Amino acid sequence: MTARTLIYNARLIDPADGLDHKGGVLIDGALIADVGPHLTRTAAAELKIDAKGKCLAPGLIDLRVKTGEPGAESKETLATASEAAAAGGVTSFVVMPDTKPVIDSVALVDFIQRRARDTAKVKIYPAGGLTLGLEGQKMTELGMIREAGAVFFCNGDQAVSDAGVLRRAMTYASSFDALVASRPDTHSLTRNTVMNHGAFAARLGVRGAPMEAEWIALARDLTLAETTRARLLVDTISTGRSLAAIEDARENGVKVACTVAAYSLFFNELDVGDYLTYCKVFPPFRPEADRLAMIDGVKRGAIDAIVSAHDPQPPEDKRLPIEEATYGAVGLETLLPALTSLVAQEHLTLLEALKPVTSGPADILGLPQGRLAIGTPADLVMFDPAAPWLCDRDDLSSRSKNSPFDGRRLEGRVLRTWVDGVTVFERA
Amino acid sequence: MASKEAETPYAFPHRHLLGIEGLNRLDIELLLDKGDRYVELNRQHVKHADALAGRTLINVFFENSTRTQGSFEIAGRRLGADVMNMSVATSSLKKGETIIDTAMTLNAMRPDLLVIRHSASGAVKLLSRKVDCAVINAGDGTHEHPTQALLDALTIRRRVGEISGLRVAICGDILHSRVARSNAILLNLLGAEVRLIAPRTLTPPGVADWGAEVFTDMRKGLEGCDVVMMLRLQQERMDGAYLPSAREFFHFYGLDFEKLSHAKPNAFVMHPGPMNRGVEIESGVADHKSRSLITEQVEMGVAVRMAVLETLANAKPDIGAKNA
Repeated sequence: MTARTLIYNARLIDPADGLDHKGGVLIDGALIADVGPHLTRTAAAELKIDAKGKCLAPGLIDLRVKTGEPGAESKETLATASEAAAAGGVTSFVVMPDTKPVIDSVALVDFIQRRARDTAKVKIYPAGGLTLGLEGQKMTELGMIREAGAVFFCNGDQAVSDAGVLRRAMTYASSFDALVASRPDTHSLTRNTVMNHGAFAARLGVRGAPMEAEWIALARDLTLAETTRARLLVDTISTGRSLAAIEDARENGVKVACTVAAYSLFFNELDVGDYLTYCKVFPPFRPEADRLAMIDGVKRGAIDAIVSAHDPQPPEDKRLPIEEATYGAVGLETLLPALTSLVAQEHLTLLEALKPVTSGPADILGLPQGRLAIGTPADLVMFDPAAPWLCDRDDLSSRSKNSPFDGRRLEGRVLRTWVDGVTVFERA
Repeated sequence: MASKEAETPYAFPHRHLLGIEGLNRLDIELLLDKGDRYVELNRQHVKHADALAGRTLINVFFENSTRTQGSFEIAGRRLGADVMNMSVATSSLKKGETIIDTAMTLNAMRPDLLVIRHSASGAVKLLSRKVDCAVINAGDGTHEHPTQALLDALTIRRRVGEISGLRVAICGDILHSRVARSNAILLNLLGAEVRLIAPRTLTPPGVADWGAEVFTDMRKGLEGCDVVMMLRLQQERMDGAYLPSAREFFHFYGLDFEKLSHAKPNAFVMHPGPMNRGVEIESGVADHKSRSLITEQVEMGVAVRMAVLETLANAKPDIGAKNA
């Protein structure tokens, strides 16, 4: 019999069941053996941990992470990303296929899984490329790549611009009930843009991405999901009107889920400030009304998953005039603190904030974790929801430090993280 | 003469000149007043002052420019500074070295003044954060071109009169124009009524917040104007079809005598240069002896740049360093 670990005196947060109450979790090996208010200090276990009233929740599941492995390991490897994830309470994440080479074959899916198993501290799931080389021309071996372990298919940061290609890929994917993720973007409207299109961009003298680029592409993708009957995951929406369109489609029976980047809940377009390249992301920070609409979508449960959109970029690609800088921001380590900060600001309850990073994404992918249930993997995070701290990019674990949260005050900090019952992070 | 500045009761509070935004009316008037005095110096037989003797000015142009670079060079030399020109657009710095590396390299040469032009908005501000000396924005992307706005204001003040209360039209490619941005801010600050005239594809979003009235009909927009500022149609920046053709643009937005007749009877015409004759302005208008101020703008450019260089070289950086 393996050693059992008891975490007691905790505030248990289980969004899957809507429970927020005092209690404990008993870990036996890699699994949760028992959970509930009856698990107090006196329960039988070989190792006992006093949570001191802090929150204990399922480890976070993040559906959108980029690393530089393979191809750009100087930005981030699966191992360094997993360090950042563990420090942020993220115990499972999906890596995007836009690497060099692109994850568009069974062998490369296999490579990611092997590297993850051998080097990473948390669970890593590959997303497969929807088209070969992500060129938007020919579909990949969707069926076999799915069997090899790809959890969904997407075209990375580039939307498939050819509707015919996307229609065929979705039709084919629907034969296997494979999930297709599509980024709602009309590239011809957003090429070479720096931030949201509007008065502020005009004042800074930079090119802006209009919101209609998102609406037009989304309308196409939702229509194709309806006609092909494929399962669609809309990858990072950023406007209230997009959410309304998704809810309409859902009401009409379209199998659609959607995600939002944590930064879209936290920042608005004015945060780009003095040409801050760490705030150059895609989709860009939007007007305040849209930020609030995204938070409201989380509150109502209309947004299925919140993602970190972790995208490490080294200084040589960011310390440039904003027009020349690359897109992207790291986010694994600030995902939970961004959400707990929104809780501290009374925008959301803890249960509302955590559902789209636990059971929400778990349900999309059909994973057993993401809940405090007996017999499920003991992927857990213990955090102090009110601990104030100042985010300093140099303290982040990611190999790249391009965080828009740099210099921001956040509330809520991870204390300890478990994956399959093993501690992978503990704050000193 | 420049050493007599002690009489000015107001000290310029900024370390750099990165844009008109962030300046107040006093800052602008101080620079224009000094510019006025340098105009007089520049019209003397011997045009030399020693306000910047022993100081080093480096012109760093990441984007080619003959006029602005020449104007800054003459301004620096007339004040006695050692002037060096670096044309980075043609050098090996283009790729590989980041603008920040360039800034550190320049900074190590210990200049007193850096004049910078760059094709990316915000690039000059980025560079200014990494150096110890005063930085002057000689145009950054489609953001700002503050010395152009100052020289335009000096030109108007000397030839048309007090700027407050004047009606000024800025016409043409507003979207891609840093000159339009700087001028709209400055003219608003000094109390002019600003009008922007352009087709919708060349009008920036949120232009309503600029404190200016926007017109698509040039004749209506020109009604009652004291000054008509034309902008260069930045053809090299057009990567798409913002306009059907240069011919159509001239038809609707090119300044000819007929359109000009809708402005005040003696309205003045300005253009920051270089002009596309027959595209945004008809030659006869551009060369009109009494109404075109275009060559005078060039003369004012040297004077105003002398004022800016001398002011920043002798500013006390502690006061305004925070918002620089």
